[in-house]
Amino acid sequence: MKKNPNTIQIWGFIILLVLFFLPLVARPYIISLLTEMIIFSLYAVSYNLLLGFGGLLSFGHGMFLGLGAFTAGAMLQRIPGLPFFGAVLFGTLMATLIGLGVGCLLLRHKGTYYALLTLAFNALFYAVAIKWHAVTGGDDGLPVKRPNLHLGFVQLPMSDVTVFYYVTLVVIGCAVLFCWYFTKTAMGKTVLLVRENEERMQFIGYNPAVSRMILFTLTAFFAGLAGSFYALFFKFVGVDAIGVDMTTTALLMTFIGGTKNFFGPVLGAGFYIYFQNFLSNLTDRWPLFMGILFVLMVLFAPQGLSGLIRSLVDHFRKTGNGKATGKEAHPFGE
Amino acid sequence: MNVTLIIIFILHGLVYAGLLFLVSSGLTLVFGMMNVLNFAHASFYMLAAYFSYSLLRWTGNFWLCLLVCPFLLFVIGALIERFLLRRVHVFGHLHELLLTFGIAFIISEVVKWVWGTAPLPIQIGGFLDSNFTVLGVIYPTYRFFVLFCSVLIGLLMSFLLLKTRMGITVRSAVDDSEMVNALGVNTPRVFMFVFALGAALSGLAGVISGPLLSINAGMATAILVDAFVVIVIGGFGSLIGAVVASLMIGQLQSFGALLFPKISLALIYLLMAIVLIAKPSGLFGEKK
Repeated sequence: MKKNPNTIQIWGFIILLVLFFLPLVARPYIISLLTEMIIFSLYAVSYNLLLGFGGLLSFGHGMFLGLGAFTAGAMLQRIPGLPFFGAVLFGTLMATLIGLGVGCLLLRHKGTYYALLTLAFNALFYAVAIKWHAVTGGDDGLPVKRPNLHLGFVQLPMSDVTVFYYVTLVVIGCAVLFCWYFTKTAMGKTVLLVRENEERMQFIGYNPAVSRMILFTLTAFFAGLAGSFYALFFKFVGVDAIGVDMTTTALLMTFIGGTKNFFGPVLGAGFYIYFQNFLSNLTDRWPLFMGILFVLMVLFAPQGLSGLIRSLVDHFRKTGNGKATGKEAHPFGE
Repeated sequence: MNVTLIIIFILHGLVYAGLLFLVSSGLTLVFGMMNVLNFAHASFYMLAAYFSYSLLRWTGNFWLCLLVCPFLLFVIGALIERFLLRRVHVFGHLHELLLTFGIAFIISEVVKWVWGTAPLPIQIGGFLDSNFTVLGVIYPTYRFFVLFCSVLIGLLMSFLLLKTRMGITVRSAVDDSEMVNALGVNTPRVFMFVFALGAALSGLAGVISGPLLSINAGMATAILVDAFVVIVIGGFGSLIGAVVASLMIGQLQSFGALLFPKISLALIYLLMAIVLIAKPSGLFGEKK
């Protein structure tokens, strides 16, 4: 039995069905947990476009989530009657613009330099968020009102957990699918090939710096979108939303889920949020266990959870059918 | 603005520059040799500060802390290099970076667990706690002590690197570690030694920073970002670059707080952005 695209599509369809019908039976607590997972899925997937797909280790992803969240929240506070998607638009736009600006400064860099510079930029925006009390609320944070959604003649009560869940599922789900689609486009292939062999791409006539910048801006866009939903979901934005810790969250989610597979970060985000909820009931020091898990994975399972599952499946296939399945072609290449 | 004030702020800047140099010199040496940007480097600094807090409460002798804590960090650094970092070396730089990052994360969580999140006060007492008059300015003796320590260590390090056989080995390993290995030097051992020495230097900086700045759970991130900026400005792997950039950042921070308190935090990033645009490889960095 060879794994073909159909199996993946069937699995995807089943998961979508489950996500779609789950709210009919689940408790509100579970629904809100799922909403959080979906929002962070996009955040982790966009991070993995940089890390797994582009081969760029960024320590500044948190600033885009924070920028999206703070802009959406501050705009809702300043402009009375701003519609739901107006706030989302502002948040996403701000993150994209800053992403473009920072991307231009990072143009020539990659590798260690890249990690270090993105960290410095993240620290800069964190400092601004703490100092700029009038807009961000400083250490106190920014409370966010969640406006209702007007769709022509119907008005959806967004305070309802299930309604918010469905809106998040549709919007964020589409965004995640678009990220997946991006990896299949010519632009996506370019980014992948620049990671693999930059010199050669230069000879063919591509500009690696520009394609890196476009990738960076795109991931800023998606992180900003996730950030806007983050603000609307928690109805509050604290400075920790823009801190280096938020970047750490993206890194942990992505790496635990697995960077080699497109849907690895989705798995990682789900696992992280669930694990966090589970552990924080037991101990206040849950990040420690997350950190230990991360280091163990770096040491022993660099492919992440999705890699472990893959090798497990392959193993069962081998023993079940008595033959090897051969090398799998997966979206991110080897 | 009078002269006294200017002198005080120059001294403030010099003291912070000294501290920054102790942290960033180890970072830049390790980077030059192993091509590993050690995210856990500032965690060593924090760990040593907390160690010194506990040791000081236990023994009450600050000089003892100055000796013992860097040594502890030397051992910890050597163990981390030998048993963790060396294992992931085959997977490439990305994994090494991620590993040091994970270690930094764990250390900061352990520190929060053991010592709590509240800032800890540190009292040294004795001669170091007094004031000193220089050029008609009254200035804390301890700050002079910090300055003295960093200059001493700087000189010691340059002597070690420039005049001894060990220094030659280290410097040539920074240039081309493969060739040095081929010439019969046990480079993995040199790597371990330099990594541990960097940890010890960072630890020393942590101990002397305790009475100067406050000991808290965020101190690692704060100095890490500054040390990174120093390395970017000075150029990767360049010791002289670390000296110059530390002095620049120290003065910029000190006078930034005096002249433009609102945007003082952003100033060093501004400087970094300017250097990046004008000379991406840093002031003393080599073009790769």
